[in-house]
Amino acid sequence: MTNDPTTLPAHGDPVLRVENLVKDFPIQAGFFRRQVGLVQAVSGVSLEIHEHETLGVVGESGCGKTTLGRTILRLLDATSGSVTYKGESVTGASNSRMRELRRHMQIVFQDPFASLNPRMPVREIIAEPLRIHGESRAAASARANELIDAVGLLSDYGNRYPHEFSGGQRQRIGIARALALQPTLIILDEPVSALDVSVQAQVVNLLEDLQNEFKLSYMFIAHDLSVVRHISDRVAVMYLGKVVEVADRDSIYDRPSHPYTQSLLSAVPVADPHAERNRRRIVLEGDLPSPAAVPSGCRFRTRCPIATERCSVEEPEIRLMAEGHEVACHFPLSPGESLIEVAAARGR
Amino acid sequence: MTEPVISFDDLSVSFPTDDGMVRAVRNVSFDVEPGEVMAVVGESGSGKSVTALAAMRLHPGSAEITGEIRFGGRDLLGIGEKEMRRVRGNGIAMIFQDPMTALNPVMKVGAQIAEMVLIHDDVSKKEAWTRAADLLESVGVPEPGRRVKQYPHEFSGGMRQRAMIAMAIANGPDLLIADEPTTALDVTIQAQVLEVMKTAQEATGAAILLITHDLGVVAGIADRVVVMYGGRVFESGSADQVFYRSQNPYTRGLMSSIPRLDAPKGERLIPIPGTPPNVLNPPSGCAFGPRCTFASDSCHESHAELMSVGFDGTHRSRCHKLAELPDLFAAAETR
Repeated sequence: MTNDPTTLPAHGDPVLRVENLVKDFPIQAGFFRRQVGLVQAVSGVSLEIHEHETLGVVGESGCGKTTLGRTILRLLDATSGSVTYKGESVTGASNSRMRELRRHMQIVFQDPFASLNPRMPVREIIAEPLRIHGESRAAASARANELIDAVGLLSDYGNRYPHEFSGGQRQRIGIARALALQPTLIILDEPVSALDVSVQAQVVNLLEDLQNEFKLSYMFIAHDLSVVRHISDRVAVMYLGKVVEVADRDSIYDRPSHPYTQSLLSAVPVADPHAERNRRRIVLEGDLPSPAAVPSGCRFRTRCPIATERCSVEEPEIRLMAEGHEVACHFPLSPGESLIEVAAARGR
Repeated sequence: MTEPVISFDDLSVSFPTDDGMVRAVRNVSFDVEPGEVMAVVGESGSGKSVTALAAMRLHPGSAEITGEIRFGGRDLLGIGEKEMRRVRGNGIAMIFQDPMTALNPVMKVGAQIAEMVLIHDDVSKKEAWTRAADLLESVGVPEPGRRVKQYPHEFSGGMRQRAMIAMAIANGPDLLIADEPTTALDVTIQAQVLEVMKTAQEATGAAILLITHDLGVVAGIADRVVVMYGGRVFESGSADQVFYRSQNPYTRGLMSSIPRLDAPKGERLIPIPGTPPNVLNPPSGCAFGPRCTFASDSCHESHAELMSVGFDGTHRSRCHKLAELPDLFAAAETR
């Protein structure tokens, strides 16, 4: 694994820079577990997250968004590419250095029922990372109490066990644990999708408050485009291991340029019967191809209503369309251009 | 007015558990009219799925069940198992969240659909297979002639969902019950499946009872809506009444707590405080009382009855503060 520390600083040095990150999983078969294939879950992803910024990462199942988050934190080892945290290589860090770096980069998982040790009282769950990093029992416990308060739980909850809490409360505990070491970056992997709708908003608001209070940077991984729109400053759209479009929130939602982004947005149902009745929906044909057998050329071409011969031969590079707006498409849509009309004009 | 397809009348379902009795459904009454899409909306523990399962008599045997579910002139809770089997598939068909629970993994998809056809119609086996292919085509499965010979594992998630819909409409049921049919699917596939359900409904004229937690899906497909909370109906009415003129604090709270794709950006979400009620130990009085910003003492003492809102009796809501609600909502909005 190599990495280049002399990368160019963008507007304000990013907290996190991901360059050309690749994560392969071998497919093994037979008695001797011979490798018979390869799933490229993350396929050359480059991203930046700036200070006090939320980068939303959206995509459907199998697009690699969860693997991306885990590879950044080295919960999975990258196949190639580099991750740098404030200019320091994460992918090249020694194990002891990595342990230090993890202080600054934390993760909150989707399932609040699986990510908390059921045999530990809540205060100990939250204090555990502090103990691992050498805090005294008393200091760790005092800090845990502060965090219990910061995430909106009652102080006497510290002695209780995870099973005594609802999904929303458990997710607060997971967030408190992630905050314990005062990180600058938190990777939130579908943090609200397992929660009841009436509870989701509580956790989203909590995340926003904590971000302002502690000047946090978030990578918010989710499949729910409405939640991502609400919380993100910038958004990256992934399809089969690739980032197909990345831009500030308004550009992605108001002027989506990649045909996949437009289709994805048009598929989201809106809780408004009048709007739904008058909506023209782009219904994509077919299913997501298997990540083990990605199409040649542009990976979206098998479902794209405006794909041409070129799309099956040549893979589109991600390129700048407008200030801060990058798209990987041979035929990007201009602002105001609708995929339905473009497709109709081409007789599709 | 025509006869409803199905009428739930004072339905209550309780389960004994190790920790005590769970009263999952409490005195639920509503009708589904022919050809309409009725959505039952609620969060986990609201009783929406148990209500639907009771109509298919698929609730656990240990459940205590009272009230009536009238379908085709009889009470489904009072008929024998043999007669009930005829109702399932012919009269009422069900679409599940996970198609693998409904499809037999070791049987060809075509054989499973043909089997449904043969139960109902006296046709040859060959004719039944042709019908199976036609049904798959009608739900948008490409190359149906080849697909009928495949097994469910050879189908993708969205295609399995289509195959299950094909099976469900095989015998032209009067009622399709769909329990979270799109929850496990990606949005682009969800859009396809909803489209297929709409088309299938238009073709067969069946009524749909849709069970879901997703208000977006409801807005796209439902004619009428029942909102459930803590085992009870909290509000019911046309989609427009419930979405635009809701007269219930829970429904209102739910609507304003979800982030929407068309909401102004940068606005803070307004969450409902607290958590959904514990099914084993529900609050006394109104189930929503502990989370309701408008609740007063009377709300914690007894639960309100489901009352008619407006004049035509189509819109109903359960709230002690029904008379004051317009003012309370207006005051809350200016806060």
